[in-house]
Amino acid sequence: MSIKVGIPRALLYYYYHPQWVTFFRRLGVETVVSRETTRGLLDKGLKSTVDEACLPVKLAVGHVLDLRDRVDYIFLPRIVSTARKEYICPKFLGFPDMVRHTINNLPPIIDCNFNLYHKGSSPADFYFQVGKFFTRNPAKIIMAYNASKAALEKHNLDMQSECLPVRQEHAADGVGNCNGINIAVIGHPYVIYDNYISMNMVKRLRDSGARVLTADHLPESVVREEAFRLPKKMFWTINQRMVGAAYHYFGREDVHGLIHVASFGCGTDSFTGELIERCARCGSHKPMLSLTVDEHTGEAGMVTRLEAFMDMVRWRRNLADAAATL
Amino acid sequence: MYVYLGIDVGSVSTNLVATGEDGTIKHSIYMRTSGKPIEVVQKGLKLMHLALPPGTKVAGVGTTGSGRHLAGVMTGADVVKNEITTHAIAASNVVPGVQTILEIGGQDSKIIILRNGVVSDFAMNTVCAAGTGSFLDQQASRLNLDIEDFGPQALQSKVPVQIAGRCAVFAESDMIHKQQMGYNIPDILAGLCEALVRNYMNNVGKGKEILAPVVFQGGVAANAGMKWAFEKALEIEVIVPPYFNVMGALGAAMLARESTNRRKTGFRGFQVADSDFCSGGFACDGCPNICEVVEIQEGGRVIARWGDRCGRWSNALANEEKIS
Repeated sequence: MSIKVGIPRALLYYYYHPQWVTFFRRLGVETVVSRETTRGLLDKGLKSTVDEACLPVKLAVGHVLDLRDRVDYIFLPRIVSTARKEYICPKFLGFPDMVRHTINNLPPIIDCNFNLYHKGSSPADFYFQVGKFFTRNPAKIIMAYNASKAALEKHNLDMQSECLPVRQEHAADGVGNCNGINIAVIGHPYVIYDNYISMNMVKRLRDSGARVLTADHLPESVVREEAFRLPKKMFWTINQRMVGAAYHYFGREDVHGLIHVASFGCGTDSFTGELIERCARCGSHKPMLSLTVDEHTGEAGMVTRLEAFMDMVRWRRNLADAAATL
Repeated sequence: MYVYLGIDVGSVSTNLVATGEDGTIKHSIYMRTSGKPIEVVQKGLKLMHLALPPGTKVAGVGTTGSGRHLAGVMTGADVVKNEITTHAIAASNVVPGVQTILEIGGQDSKIIILRNGVVSDFAMNTVCAAGTGSFLDQQASRLNLDIEDFGPQALQSKVPVQIAGRCAVFAESDMIHKQQMGYNIPDILAGLCEALVRNYMNNVGKGKEILAPVVFQGGVAANAGMKWAFEKALEIEVIVPPYFNVMGALGAAMLARESTNRRKTGFRGFQVADSDFCSGGFACDGCPNICEVVEIQEGGRVIARWGDRCGRWSNALANEEKIS
């Protein structure tokens, strides 16, 4: 029986899962991904986490609990930085320790450092450390790493052709009467792609006839260039991506509205939202909606706001069309 | 005579409006929901039926408010619309050229910005309910004051007391403290109005460009103290339209007129007021989400279900809640 490694379906899983899964598979290790978020899973996470943590972290703890009793290792990489001179939120940095000290009877945790902050650092260092848990053969690790790198590149290209992670649906799929309305949804990947936490926002928008675009549909170069317009470099990678994407979509003719999704308790969302909103007020006249998601299960508030937002977008678009024909 | 019905089932009040074909209001009803939306809608329909001249035909029905789906299923509504859109439509018809709508209801507050007759921006209160009608209601009853007297009393104030309005719970303790210090009630009430307006402007109105004409509607617009506080904070005249408390229902009726457009209405007739509706719920055990599914029955027959995330139950009736 092969060794099983558990990967929580949370946090940066949504960016890196093809790479992680490929890497472990090439090493002959079986991967187990936690089940999709449900109320039961979130409840467990909420009960086991300190109250100061943000919603995504509480959710991630729930996913770890879901894996606890059915795997040999839990993969919780300590992701410090994914780009030079940039950081990931400090809560990610402390996450393996937070888990280790709050949950009992855990299988061993693989919490190698993933840090590209300094010059000359490479993801390969991280994968070597992880690989050493399972094999002593460096050649095997190198091969697995190369394969995983290719998988990530393919995933990123797929994303740019408007796939969504995990479900691998195309953005135009499932759109009923697509009357050419494009809505950009800007938020953390682990919030907007999680169907439970986002209350099926992407599906709801599609059902109402919108094509959904996210920050991950843009190549990194575009996002970075746009984020460069900020007076000071944003050194949180994910937020830089959100701001850059928002600026890009504000400037695009074919995007009719933008939704910013913040999660309750997220420190960086508070000012990212503000930066995006200021741009919406001054530089652009596109409709924008800010939504905050939290533990609540009532969907009525979300549905009402999305409905009204779509009404507003359609209304304004019809008016613009009418003006163009005059 | 043909009329269009608009029904707004809110958290605190349920309102019905009947408009003529020209959009003028024939009759309006304002009732407390008291947590019983089905009974209240039925009672409202009964009252409306009695108030309208005999032989009146309903040519269309629209529902809105947080109970819009429920009311829509019960009456066979032609259009079920969110309250932001209906409020905007009603206000822009009643006050042509309106650019800002301040709406404070029982449990939510919103701001709607219109430009050139089209909604250009809106915001609703997020996870916090401070500064909504429920809070004023609660404070009035704590002071043994009829909510109707709240406004006139607040207007008598000479020196409004400063009250912390950031959070409804802390505002209450601050108010109690001010009372114990010996400030008189009108000054406290006026201070409360100012605090709520401050909170509204910081939360909901944050960063919005507020231009005249400004319309103030929703149940709280009945409170003259709030109107005074808004005018003081904005330094703009605030218009409270004549049917300020039923604007959502009015907008729904207007939308019903638009959507039926001489087609046949889905209205099931005033006799639904006598039907035996009952709502029940059960927890679905299909997955760990344990959704609380709501079931609406009419005479023992299930006519609608919602509340399930996966659509297992609602799809079974092909009555999926969609955003439109």
